[in-house]
Amino acid sequence: MSYVETSAVTINPRARRRRLLRKRFLRRPLAVAGLVVAIGFILMAILAPLIAPYSPSATDFNALLAKPSREHLLGTDELGRDVLSRIIWGSRASIEAGVLATGLAIAVGVPIGIVAGYFRGWPDTVIARLTDVLLAFPFLIVAVGLAAILGPSLTNATIALGIGATPVFIRIARGEALSLREEDYVRAAVANGASDVRIIVRHVVPNMTSTLIVQATIAIPAAIIGEAVLSFLGLGVQPPTPSWGVMLADAQSYLSQAPRLAVYPGLAIFFCSLSFNLLGDGLRDVFDPRTTR
Amino acid sequence: MSLLEVDDLSVRFETDDGTVHAVDRLSFEVGAGEVLGIVGESGCGKSVSLMSLLGLLPETAVVSGRATFDGIDLLAARGTALRSIRGRKIAFVFQEPMTSLNPAFKVGNQIGEVLRRHLGLDRAAARKRTIELLELVRIPSAERRLDEFPHQLSGGMRQRVMIAMAVACDPKILIADEPTTALDVTIQAGILDLVRDIRERLGTAIVLITHNLGVVADIADRVLVMYAGRKVEEAPVAELFARPQHPYTNGLLAAVPRPGAGRLREIPGRVPSLAEIPQACAFAPRCPRADAITRSSVPELRTVGPGHMVACFHPGTDAEAAA
Repeated sequence: MSYVETSAVTINPRARRRRLLRKRFLRRPLAVAGLVVAIGFILMAILAPLIAPYSPSATDFNALLAKPSREHLLGTDELGRDVLSRIIWGSRASIEAGVLATGLAIAVGVPIGIVAGYFRGWPDTVIARLTDVLLAFPFLIVAVGLAAILGPSLTNATIALGIGATPVFIRIARGEALSLREEDYVRAAVANGASDVRIIVRHVVPNMTSTLIVQATIAIPAAIIGEAVLSFLGLGVQPPTPSWGVMLADAQSYLSQAPRLAVYPGLAIFFCSLSFNLLGDGLRDVFDPRTTR
Repeated sequence: MSLLEVDDLSVRFETDDGTVHAVDRLSFEVGAGEVLGIVGESGCGKSVSLMSLLGLLPETAVVSGRATFDGIDLLAARGTALRSIRGRKIAFVFQEPMTSLNPAFKVGNQIGEVLRRHLGLDRAAARKRTIELLELVRIPSAERRLDEFPHQLSGGMRQRVMIAMAVACDPKILIADEPTTALDVTIQAGILDLVRDIRERLGTAIVLITHNLGVVADIADRVLVMYAGRKVEEAPVAELFARPQHPYTNGLLAAVPRPGAGRLREIPGRVPSLAEIPQACAFAPRCPRADAITRSSVPELRTVGPGHMVACFHPGTDAEAAA
């Protein structure tokens, strides 16, 4: 049995590594739960028109601030809109902001960080110090400030969150590039006539991807919460478009009558960001070569 | 007409603690198809001098002198011109086979990349040639190994892969920087066999950097002995082993273990720091033959036999010196 397994292993090494990583991942129940829930939220965002029982803006004036019932599983808000439907549609803004803002931060931050860390010299000094200054400001403060400058809309909120998350990616990419450029295989590639661009593409970027993936799973929930905060403050999604942050803001006025209006979107934000965080923690352990199980 | 001519090569490092003179006015030649052994202790400038030829040193290095390869001024080459020499005309094999391969790619792709870059082969042709190369470096079941990742290969296998990569483009010169140091003895012998085989089959000139005189005796045509950044002796291999002139060479030879020869003799003292170039023979503090003149002026290289040069005021074998 074990013989059969080893020979299969040597024939297809990439599959073997993938299998090892999958095995490590599956051994972490919290990470698996995080993955399942995160995928659930993503599917919810994509399939919102199909699974939401009502339109998010449809009002039912016969059921204002209605308690949960068979018609309205999570009740209705002050305008008689179905809360469940609004939470389902609201996931779109959150997932969109989380994924796109993180994508933006990677697209901007990683090249800058690589240039700084790989080529060193004075550009590195300037970029590194500037990054330190930006990192001294809390992420949300930067995002709120930028969103206020750009003007309220989901796109602008996403851009603001992306820019806010960029310094972290610059710093990570720079640090990775700094250490990877000293690797023996980089020296060997130089001795074999590889150009700087080729070394970056072939040797530096592929060896920093696992670090970037982990950081992305940390940045996504931060951006999801950020979107909720901006929308809550009126700097993100504009009513009547549903968003968890907008729902929280609307719920404020009815906190004493219908606290559930704040609880449900709050729970959605909580579980969505928690799922990505757990997934990120799990991936970090899986990719860490010092992990033994 | 030699393939590579190095003339008056000096390398300094400007560090925070001052200047370090790693190589001082080194001159040597490598002929086509020749195996040149460069021996010396750690830190004597062996690796630095050869790495400087391809611009592989960090920016803190200041290189001066001349190095001509195939009519090209190596030390003046930059950018594309330099990259078209690296790996294509002059290839390097480094000391650390365990870390010299990128862990993220299959070994076949890493060799193939060099072929595609320098020779413009397409994917299929590169793969075919890679299999031939792995067979040349005697990796069993090459076709399967091609698709393995570096972590699945042993140290000896990885060094073979590095050699395959180095000879991929049929370079004129292969510089092997202590290729066997990190490997155990039986594997060492295999790698040396391979190096010899490559010279015979491909006619590649080889510069072998080592601190192992046994390796040199085994494989080199000519030997260059370095001490503290300077060349102290150069001779054909048989001549060097039969009539070592420099007391340092004598000391190195006496320090080779021989069963039954009693306690190993060492060279007393330590390698000097290279912070300044002494106006004296650098070996004088450790030399049994040192006298007033060795401590006050630098010995120049002089010819003492056919192809045999030594930088010493009191040359001769230890036996002659004792007499």
